[in-house]
Amino acid sequence: MSDSTETLSIEITVNGKVYQRDVEPRLLLVEFIRENVGLTGTHVGCDTSYCGACTIILNGEAIKSCTYLAVQADGGEVITVEGLEKEGQLHPLQQAFSECHGLQCGYCTPGMLMSSLALLAENPDPSVKDIRKRLAGNVCRCTGYQNIIKSVQSAAKQLQEG
Amino acid sequence: MEMKFDGEFEVDLPREKVFVILSDPEKFAPLIPTFHSLEMKDERTAMLRVKVGIGKIRGTASTELTLTEAEAPYRAVYIGKGKVMQGVYESISSFELEESGQGTLVKWQAETNLVGKILSLAGGGMRGYAEKEISKLISSLQNGLSSNPQTVTAKPKADGWLARILRKSDSGETETAETPVSESKIAEGLAGFNDEQLDRRKEAQGKIDNVLSTARAEKRLPRKEDNRLIRGQGLFVDDFHPAGMLHMVLVRSPYAHAKILNIDVSAAEALPGVVCTLTGAEVKAQTNPFTQLGPEPSALIQDYCLAIDKALYQGDPVVAVVAESVQIATDAAQLVDVEYETLPVVVDCKESMQADVMLHEQVGSNYTWQGEFEFGEVDKAFEDAKHVVKIDHLKFHRYGSTALEPNAVVATWNQMGELDYFSNTIMAVPIAMIGPALSVSSDKIRLRTHDIGGAFGNKIGNYPHMTLAALASKKAGGAPVKWLETRSEHMQAGGHGSERNFFDTEVALDADGVITAIRSTHVDDCGAYPRYEPLACVIWAQVMPATYKLRNMKIDMRQVVTNKGPCAPNRGYSRLPHLWFMERCIDICGHELGIPADEIRLRNYIQEFPYTTPNGCVYDSGDLPMMLKKAKALVGWDEWKKKQEEARKEGRYIGIGIGTTLDSGTNNFGQSQIINPFLPFTGQSQASTAKLDLDGTVSIAVGSFPQGQGHETTSAQVAAEVLGIDTDFINVKTGFDTARNSHTGTGGTYASQFAVTGLSAVHGAAVKLRDEMKKLAAFSLEANEDDLEFGVGEMGPEVRVKGSPDKNINFWALSNLANYNTASVPEELRDLHLNVRHVYVAPFQTVDKEKKYGNLTLTYAMQLHIAVIELNRETAQTKILDYGIIDDCGTVINHMIVEGQSHGGAGHGIAASLLETMPHDKDGNVICGSFTDYAPITINNMPDLKYENMESPSPFSYNGAKGMGEGGGAPLLSISAAMQDALYGDGIIIQNSHHSPMFLYEVLKNYEGNPVSLESR
Ligand code: FES
Ligand code: FES
Repeated sequence: MSDSTETLSIEITVNGKVYQRDVEPRLLLVEFIRENVGLTGTHVGCDTSYCGACTIILNGEAIKSCTYLAVQADGGEVITVEGLEKEGQLHPLQQAFSECHGLQCGYCTPGMLMSSLALLAENPDPSVKDIRKRLAGNVCRCTGYQNIIKSVQSAAKQLQEG
Repeated sequence: MEMKFDGEFEVDLPREKVFVILSDPEKFAPLIPTFHSLEMKDERTAMLRVKVGIGKIRGTASTELTLTEAEAPYRAVYIGKGKVMQGVYESISSFELEESGQGTLVKWQAETNLVGKILSLAGGGMRGYAEKEISKLISSLQNGLSSNPQTVTAKPKADGWLARILRKSDSGETETAETPVSESKIAEGLAGFNDEQLDRRKEAQGKIDNVLSTARAEKRLPRKEDNRLIRGQGLFVDDFHPAGMLHMVLVRSPYAHAKILNIDVSAAEALPGVVCTLTGAEVKAQTNPFTQLGPEPSALIQDYCLAIDKALYQGDPVVAVVAESVQIATDAAQLVDVEYETLPVVVDCKESMQADVMLHEQVGSNYTWQGEFEFGEVDKAFEDAKHVVKIDHLKFHRYGSTALEPNAVVATWNQMGELDYFSNTIMAVPIAMIGPALSVSSDKIRLRTHDIGGAFGNKIGNYPHMTLAALASKKAGGAPVKWLETRSEHMQAGGHGSERNFFDTEVALDADGVITAIRSTHVDDCGAYPRYEPLACVIWAQVMPATYKLRNMKIDMRQVVTNKGPCAPNRGYSRLPHLWFMERCIDICGHELGIPADEIRLRNYIQEFPYTTPNGCVYDSGDLPMMLKKAKALVGWDEWKKKQEEARKEGRYIGIGIGTTLDSGTNNFGQSQIINPFLPFTGQSQASTAKLDLDGTVSIAVGSFPQGQGHETTSAQVAAEVLGIDTDFINVKTGFDTARNSHTGTGGTYASQFAVTGLSAVHGAAVKLRDEMKKLAAFSLEANEDDLEFGVGEMGPEVRVKGSPDKNINFWALSNLANYNTASVPEELRDLHLNVRHVYVAPFQTVDKEKKYGNLTLTYAMQLHIAVIELNRETAQTKILDYGIIDDCGTVINHMIVEGQSHGGAGHGIAASLLETMPHDKDGNVICGSFTDYAPITINNMPDLKYENMESPSPFSYNGAKGMGEGGGAPLLSISAAMQDALYGDGIIIQNSHHSPMFLYEVLKNYEGNPVSLESR
């Protein structure tokens, strides 16, 4: 617990917008995104880096924001699920998750989308094994994963064609 | 945490030379990119110092690297051990060398195991970190093993994964000089990137931008819910932030059974930002104990929203702290001082029955319920039996479906006495629990939900927290108070699925292997408090004979409390344990009598529907032999049988198992009277409203609490069909809200019923609305009602005269007549408000409480699963080789959703069978405090599912549909059966529903005795 109310000034770009905030050193990045920036699409499901509901892109890489301090991301660039849309139009990944019924309750979905985004950035044509490997840090309790695999495959196809 | 990586690369040195380098620690170690210095401990072991660190914080760490295998010139294996950031790691790296032209193909594998605090600090981040470190190591090795080592990594030969990671390191990921960094620099944030890091960041970001900037096409989404959820615009409880909101954090008992001697909250209350605290004494003074569903004497149990003077399970809430932020509340909770005196603990149901340790002394025992269910002529059937199989003990284990969003609530109890809930509960029933506890009329309670991150029945258990949050709000002057369960709280006490033990089972069979009778004693363990319990003592009876035609059954059903977290209903609640039991019986009997699993089922399956069970339940429709046939074809049963035989010759254990479930949906609450004749509940009803809103929008509200089942989509489908328009024109309200008046007392999402009760209500409301609209349109168009049709015209949805499309009135104009333009409507039509409510009342009778007889559920969806597994007897690890699902839930409203539910249910079943369990030690400590311990199933260990659907329409629902969603738990049945099949030849009987390696290993190692006997006459 903190004995002081010391805060630090940090600057983080979230979905292209710069946020300069004074935060406690212990503030988690996910708390920063949800509470300080006010984007609640990034969720928390486990607090311990297991479930991936909190996955975001930081400086081009997918990370779990529940176990990352906001101050560690100072000067960084964050993309959250809210950053996937462009001018009100859905990203092919979002489209594919819906079309393939890759979500039910939707709680894991933002994290799934961000991990999938990072996967497709690295590997535009992933095999089922690649998808399984790369999304192993994202838990979904609703879908049994079958349709998530389909969603990522379908998005990869759309991205390659588009 | 275990991490595995593998890959291969080629180098131009010949294999012998590569082996010489790789098999000598002194030569190998300097190739590690973080290598600092080395000292040989002996010939095979090097003590290394390596550089470690992230960003500018750097240092060195020591590692012991031992060459454990060297087989010239093919193979070298190293074990590395060391300490890192409050954790220890051990890693095994192996290199296999193959000739490739002049050079060598190096196939490598690395397996790292991490233990300790570093996991909770970095857990998920570790994998990415490790991946990067390994990619650096590999490129460094590749460089070091080439004939012409360079300071810069050689260009990769091929494209692919290795090429990419090499390119990545190519972009300049080289080590920077060690720079000591002061503590304050860490606090400043690691803002300073060096050039290489910036480059790498730019490259990574470039790739992301690339994918982000792809062209998009606007397409229609198949589910109404998806639009908000895939945009991150869902509204889950934690996303709800009313002004002035405070946060509640709970102090929980670390002991499973302890007297609370003293509580000191003064230090906590003194912390700036703390608003108030609540203790058991205040709760006792201000609230009534929760209503008990059980009869006397278990009705004497006093259950409050905080522990009063005794904590009864580890995690029992003792004090609530309310503060301006969750951080302050958490800090303050740590300042609360509670003095306990520990008491003896009971965690086992058998011991609990003996009552040496009693949880609720006033009850006089630990029983919450006991009673006998007897139907047919059981004793006679045993006298006449040709064979009697006896099974001494079977156990269905404790686990939970652990929805990804934990329990949560925002409660506001304002000064006018109005209580507003924004929560993720899943039933209207909590109002009936909370109202009397707080002495508030239900009329003053508003209960809302919006998006819910999964529930699987479990969130029914949220009501004690909801009650407590209301009290906290009141004490805080009416401010909204949010309570959000942490994952570890959920694992400890957030509502486990109950466990059941089956003792002294006897099965009577005739000469053909047809079961004629079963008698048995079943004991449920519901944890410390019966919450929603002891209803589990009757709900199983919905599926009493399972899918089998036996007419004689006698079950001595009991439930006890133990010092474990209170249970809450969990997907397949009470029926799944019973169906598991019945499937164990059929398989064990089959094995004992030498009748194959498919054959004994065919001899015992119910064949004619509707079928009335011995206890009066009516199975509506189905075709079990056909399901079996289809499932066998789906997995290729005959081929697997052959492969199984061949594998057995090689000493491999393949098992094939069938699991047949019934998903009984739409429950008759009359069954609660079998538990307690004084409960005032019978039947089942659901409501829906439909209105043409002021601007002509069709607006539907339902009384369910959806959590991903797509109720908005299917409701819109039903209403759209009635009104002859597209679903896009139907607006279905999200979530539940008492203020919409679209519910009855039994409103909720539970017991597989929406397709029947919810959609029947929507259908009824839509029909009422359509009829009113027709009447008004007939007046307006001066036409005959029978000549009218619905459709979409130039001005949107409309009602028009068939054959004369010019004669039409659109929905807006119709609504206008009823809402703004009422004087122009003739007197006799002024009762048409285009705002209707329909209540669907399921066609149930009351049940015979004494005889425990009656129809307990309206529809019976069926699932038949076949699992093919391979068990490794050395490691006790199970691999699913094939998995087939046949689902029959009557007429399907939406195939995509039904298949999704089947997948999800199967996921839970496989998880519970092979991975997930919630064990306690003998002191009542929960052994699975986090997801890391519980290991919920991931995409990596979920097998591919083969799925097919069958439709046997229900004669009891207007649309032929049957409720579904819970029967998917069949893998618990099919995997146990497959395990049994694999091990029966070794004389091992599968007695438990859980088969994780840790658990199974013990079973296999210490298997003794014979829990099964066969008597044949
Ligand atoms: S909340 Fe971050 S991984 Fe689960
Ligand atoms: S859709 Fe509910 S957790 Fe994935």
